[in-house]
Amino acid sequence: MNRNGVVIDETFAEAFPMKATRLVITAHNIEWARHAAVAATGFATSVIACGCEAGIEREIPPGETPDGRPGIAVLIFSMSGKELAKQIERRVGQCVLTCPTTAVYAGIDEGEAVALGKNLRFFGDGWQISKMIAGKRYWRVPVMDGEFVAQETTAVVKGVGGGNLLLLARDTDAALAAAEAAVAAMKKLPNVIMPFPGGVVRSGSKVGSKYPALGASTNDAFCPTLVGLVPKTELTSETRCVMEIVIDGLTEADVGAAMRVGMEAGIALGAAGGLLRISAGNYGGKLGPFHFHLHKLMAGSAA
Amino acid sequence: MSGFTLKARAPAPLRLDLRGITPVALATLSAAEVERLEIGHGNALVPLAEFFQVESRSDDTLLLAGDLSRGDRIGWQMDGGTLIVDGAAGDYVGAGLRAGEITVKGDAGALAACEMAGGTLRISGSVGDFAASTLPGSMDGMRGGTLIVGGNAGARFGDRMRRGSALVFGDVGDFLASRMVAGTIALAGRAGAHAGYGMRRGSVVFAGPAPGVSPTFVPAVAGAPVFWQLLARDLAPHGGLFATLASRGIDRQLGDVAAGGKGELILVR
Repeated sequence: MNRNGVVIDETFAEAFPMKATRLVITAHNIEWARHAAVAATGFATSVIACGCEAGIEREIPPGETPDGRPGIAVLIFSMSGKELAKQIERRVGQCVLTCPTTAVYAGIDEGEAVALGKNLRFFGDGWQISKMIAGKRYWRVPVMDGEFVAQETTAVVKGVGGGNLLLLARDTDAALAAAEAAVAAMKKLPNVIMPFPGGVVRSGSKVGSKYPALGASTNDAFCPTLVGLVPKTELTSETRCVMEIVIDGLTEADVGAAMRVGMEAGIALGAAGGLLRISAGNYGGKLGPFHFHLHKLMAGSAA
Repeated sequence: MSGFTLKARAPAPLRLDLRGITPVALATLSAAEVERLEIGHGNALVPLAEFFQVESRSDDTLLLAGDLSRGDRIGWQMDGGTLIVDGAAGDYVGAGLRAGEITVKGDAGALAACEMAGGTLRISGSVGDFAASTLPGSMDGMRGGTLIVGGNAGARFGDRMRRGSALVFGDVGDFLASRMVAGTIALAGRAGAHAGYGMRRGSVVFAGPAPGVSPTFVPAVAGAPVFWQLLARDLAPHGGLFATLASRGIDRQLGDVAAGGKGELILVR
């Protein structure tokens, strides 16, 4: 398949089930909400070593938050509900509780409840107060700027992690331009995050390594550095730079939609913009139950 | 499920005990069976038909019509369905209510909604003393659900209240929220003396005139704007003075420190 000079590989991205939640962080103004959200979703690019994958989903206008203040929705994904609960407690405790004027609420109502303010309340040293408002329990923890308000629990739902696109480009400028355009398009969609820095990962990985201790290592088949050296490469000599975008979403449809708009953004740049091919990472279909076939996604596209 | 209309034939000579006459309990019965149900009258048990005319309804509602100001324990420990009292109710209306909805279109006696744990109880008129409070000898008062009083309330409103929301659109008597453990009380009218006497936690919102504040309360230095927005937005749908709470500022008084309390009287500006 060739669109605007960009070859779409006949392959699929392979994604796997994760546990996910959404938190809504509000603050006195959007700046402080963003400070808390950025800190809470920091060092959360990959479950390989971060414990979770997290990112900012969107800004929420004051009229849509529970307390009428500006807010930010963040999504957090983990491989198990237990690990997710641990990450929520640590990240909210260290990055939201600590951030001036913030409050934190569950962004999802339906699902298994895990602690949000439930354990953080003990920071109040006995002065914390519980309030039931409209059937939801909140904790009011006295802090030096007044009160930290946190909903007792947030709901955990099943999510989809590891949706991805590989953007194969002529050079670094073209690869970055395509990746930036794709991430910008994906960020407009709800229910997805791109957890890597700027939404883009340059160190795409394969499963396993020559070193037994390592579970993942460089994706040599897509390394322009190794063309001619490795026994099997996916690249040709005109492809000098490859970027990957990883997408976590609340549902399979959300991830698929994000991949589609990302591809459309890359195709809009086209071969003239230096984007040569779009591919995707999979493990032969053995790892995850969710397969996103690029050709099928493009079949539903207007581009 | 089928509902019934129970029309009181005439005011009972003695107090009636109407516990057990709930929508769920009557749902599977025929009109004849309902007529044979026993209710308390003074210290005797009499068939319900002695005081009520029973009619089946097309909906699921249980409607009690007529003057029931001597009808006690209406909706006692009710756990579902809809019960309407088209007139006045006696003492203990909605006491121990767990789920469902009770509407009283007239006044109610003492101890309305005491130890209520869930559901909604609306009383268009006024209630007597000890509404939303505790049964004598019990530790916890109202512990869930929503009580809405359209008129005035007597003394000791919300005594030992532990959870839930209780709203009064009129005035309340003395010792509002006495020994309150937690929960929310919102008042549109005036409060009598000693509001919050011995309260430990909980929030009492004064949407109308400010009450006299006991010297055992301390003014709050810090604001609680986030919590106030959450609470005010929850109260707003009840209308009246409560509708505009979110746009109004508050002063808080904390206490009752004489009881080691961390409760708050919220005085809306």
